[in-house]
Amino acid sequence: MAKKDNVVIVGAGLNGLVTAYYLARAGFKPIVLERRPIVGGVAVTEEFHPGFRASTIAHTAGPLLPVIAREMKLEQFGFQLIEPDVRIFAPAPDGRSIVLYNDPAKSAQSIAKFSTRDAGKFLEFESVLGRITQFLSQLITLTPPDIENPSSADLFRLFKVGRNFRGLGKKDMQRLLRWGPMAVADFAAEWFESELLRAMISSRAIFGTATGPWSPGTTAVLLLRAAAESHYAGVASIPRGGMGGLTQAMAAVAQKAGAQIRTRAEVAQITVKGGAVTGVVLAGGEEISARAVISNADPKRTFLKLLDPVTLEPSFLAKVQHYRSTGAVAKINLALSGPPQFKALQGASNGTLSGRIHIGPEIDYIERAFDASKYGEFSRRPSLEITIPSLADPSLAPAGQHVMSIFAHYAPYHLKSGDWDSHREALSDAVVETLEEYVPDLASLLLDGEVLTPKDLETNYGLTGGHIFHGEPALDQLFTMRPL
Amino acid sequence: MASRYDVIVIGGGHNGLVNAAYLARAGRKVLVLEKRYVLGGAAVTEEIFPGFQFSVCSYVVSLLRPEIIRDLDLPRHGLEILPLDGTFTPMLEGQYLWRVNDHAKTRRAIAQHSRVDAEAYDEFGKAMLAMCHFVKPLLAMVPPDPTSLDPRDLKKLLFLGKRFQSLPAEDKYNLVQLMTMSAADFLDQWFETDVLKATMSASGIIGTFLGVRSPGTAYVLLHHYMGEIDGAFRAWGFSRGGTGAISNAIASAAREAGVEIRTQAPVAKILVKEGRATGVVLESGEEIKAGSVSSSVDPNLTFLKLMEPSELPGEFVEEVRRYKYRGSSGKVNLALDALPNFTCLPGPGAHLRGAMSISPSLEYMERAYDDAKYGDFSRRPYIDIVIPSLTDPSVAPPGKHVLSCFVQYAPYKLREGNWDQKREAFGDAVIDTLAQYAPNIKEIIIGRQVLTPLDIERLVGLTEGNIFQGELSLEQLFFLRPVAGWARYRTPVRNLYMCGSATHPGGGIMGAPGRLAAVEMLKDGSGKSN
Repeated sequence: MAKKDNVVIVGAGLNGLVTAYYLARAGFKPIVLERRPIVGGVAVTEEFHPGFRASTIAHTAGPLLPVIAREMKLEQFGFQLIEPDVRIFAPAPDGRSIVLYNDPAKSAQSIAKFSTRDAGKFLEFESVLGRITQFLSQLITLTPPDIENPSSADLFRLFKVGRNFRGLGKKDMQRLLRWGPMAVADFAAEWFESELLRAMISSRAIFGTATGPWSPGTTAVLLLRAAAESHYAGVASIPRGGMGGLTQAMAAVAQKAGAQIRTRAEVAQITVKGGAVTGVVLAGGEEISARAVISNADPKRTFLKLLDPVTLEPSFLAKVQHYRSTGAVAKINLALSGPPQFKALQGASNGTLSGRIHIGPEIDYIERAFDASKYGEFSRRPSLEITIPSLADPSLAPAGQHVMSIFAHYAPYHLKSGDWDSHREALSDAVVETLEEYVPDLASLLLDGEVLTPKDLETNYGLTGGHIFHGEPALDQLFTMRPL
Repeated sequence: MASRYDVIVIGGGHNGLVNAAYLARAGRKVLVLEKRYVLGGAAVTEEIFPGFQFSVCSYVVSLLRPEIIRDLDLPRHGLEILPLDGTFTPMLEGQYLWRVNDHAKTRRAIAQHSRVDAEAYDEFGKAMLAMCHFVKPLLAMVPPDPTSLDPRDLKKLLFLGKRFQSLPAEDKYNLVQLMTMSAADFLDQWFETDVLKATMSASGIIGTFLGVRSPGTAYVLLHHYMGEIDGAFRAWGFSRGGTGAISNAIASAAREAGVEIRTQAPVAKILVKEGRATGVVLESGEEIKAGSVSSSVDPNLTFLKLMEPSELPGEFVEEVRRYKYRGSSGKVNLALDALPNFTCLPGPGAHLRGAMSISPSLEYMERAYDDAKYGDFSRRPYIDIVIPSLTDPSVAPPGKHVLSCFVQYAPYKLREGNWDQKREAFGDAVIDTLAQYAPNIKEIIIGRQVLTPLDIERLVGLTEGNIFQGELSLEQLFFLRPVAGWARYRTPVRNLYMCGSATHPGGGIMGAPGRLAAVEMLKDGSGKSN
């Protein structure tokens, strides 16, 4: 079967689906090939215990560019975003807590319980970061220029960025240049004195990475994410029906635009002839020819597994091999028989739990959690990012019961001793024990759980090294240097 | 009213002296004021035990700018650099890694650990050389301000951009990596031998409060790679007579050019009148007027100790307070009765003439950092050891030796207790660590000087004991050093300049800040008395 305007997209993850839509709209005939029985990649909703459905991996509609949601008209295909009033709830073991709301004034009130100085600084912090991330957000929608041979269009775009950079004013320009390489721990400490607030702000910078709050360059990650999500504390929006609600709608939109989507269709090889791609071969042996192949798989999988290495230049190959993509985060989904009672809320949650919940009360707590991962151990006291999507979306669990979705930092892909199969239970125990300090009745609510180690993320979801972002978002692996 | 001096230089360290010498050579009348009885600041030789001469703080030389050696004719003033050949890394299992300046030998030594690494070592050397050639002109350049629209700044930025564009693709890629990666990640791409990576990564952490796995340390690696003696990159050496001899040579050149130098003359205050520096007051109360004041001490001392905050813009003071020092290293200087005997390579061989590095693995290095992160000194620290008396017998009595240990990490701020209580425990940790590799060390010590970051601060005035007058981290380099917008040796106070390691291009016995500051001062016509 050979069609001249076929374009094959390897993988029906969120980016694959978006690409398929735009190509179909432009008159191409995209065929999306997905290995798994469902589309969505890491943005899927799956049943992990009878009646309990969770966003298996990604659990908030994080940096989804609004322009894409608008252009794809996703709402018309059943996509609905639940936007809680609370961004982050950060409890401390002593029963105190900070809550960040969409409304900065309300957040400042919550912070004032710890420090009136911090509450005052907080409003300034919001506005300075607002300005700087607005500037940075242009970089995100920009195709990175070629560092080796910038085209005149590249230069023009860079010139525009440069002009807007100057538009920031001297003080903000200097701030941006100085902040980027800093450790987020230093950055947070320059602004605030409350340890809980510092830790909460840092947690966004290290999310999903193999860095700790004392790692230099984490402030840049914080700022870039803030630019993508239009807020430094990230987005707590959850699609109705979980992340699968988003990708199912995207698939429907893409199909309606003319894209073909095939599940259970694993690409085994990308075929190349005379230095040009000719199509793909599926695991079953079926060949699909295409004028172009777009890979939604990570660079290592694409270039080291799907392509025959002899088709690539050795120096390119070496760079791919050096691309750092070993993940250090695990995902745990819990089925609970009732709503969890946080000590810090004394029973009255009032919507406080419907955003993201951050466990990791001190910078050093998070850093110590990170230390373990440097030596091939998972953290005994992990730093956690939690959502309880069933609070706002009861369709995810039986009536009165709940789903708790947890990212646990750090769980390194490479363990020093043993393998992940023999450590999965211990990891899950460490997470539950950590949480029990904040939710004393957790064990009595626990019906079942699902643990996804970095190894599982690789085996089941095709993420090489189990990295949820397809590679470490370090300064040397971003923008024009990403992936290579 | 004409002042007695055109310029007063605060601090007689190597940068202050270089600054003074260049100004005097341009016809300025210059006075250098040094707090201590001896010149050199952290580049100083002192007799700590009778007959034993120690390079108390800074102990090896490599970065001293060749143009300074040339301009000031330092060899004529007594500077003599003796080569420091190789780095020897002992290991506990009877193995060792010994790299020397003889390339073929080093290749064979590495090949014993890994043939692949021996091949890669050549390529690595070439790549680093290319990086050094790119970065070197930056060391001799006054940093441009990227937030400014001044055509001179834009020209410099354009020059940098063009230079970058003219690099081969591979070099561009390497350079971006070097500016952003951790030393360990960077080296992981090149080599597989742990001990080789560990020893090489050590130069990425010196003077920083970072670990070998912290991003940004690859740059510091390069900073140390840029050492150059007689045109040979990556060559390190001793100065005959200790590092103090370098300072003395510069002082001699300065005096010859007409500089007046006063020791035991601590400055108490910088005089400011109507936003203009007019001189200094000594601790003795003596007031000395000058057209300009050039401070080679760090920003904390210059702006927060020697001045009143009210004399400076509030935002500037805030930035000065933000500037990070965080001393992380200490020194242990030993007077020895005999030579240490390493278990893995016994006897008095040539390996003792170079640097000896206690850096057996990347994990060892990173764990040393972990201790410090939480406010403890490393129980098993990274140690860089030299025995200068083997190369320069003049520094110890016949048959005896001086051994100098640079030790990291020793954080200035301890979580518990203070350095006065912990000094000896720190010294013991260093000796115990050494004894694991050279068991005879404890029997041959006849004198021991332990310098904690607190001692370094007290002794030579370096805030928090940071040997580079402020961390060499990316956010404190180039146009951000020490404060964004004030990276060009000038300050918000007219006629007050900075010329120490807290300015571009930073620390090490390099002299570049002192020279560049002089160039800028002369450009301003400053220093010329009214």
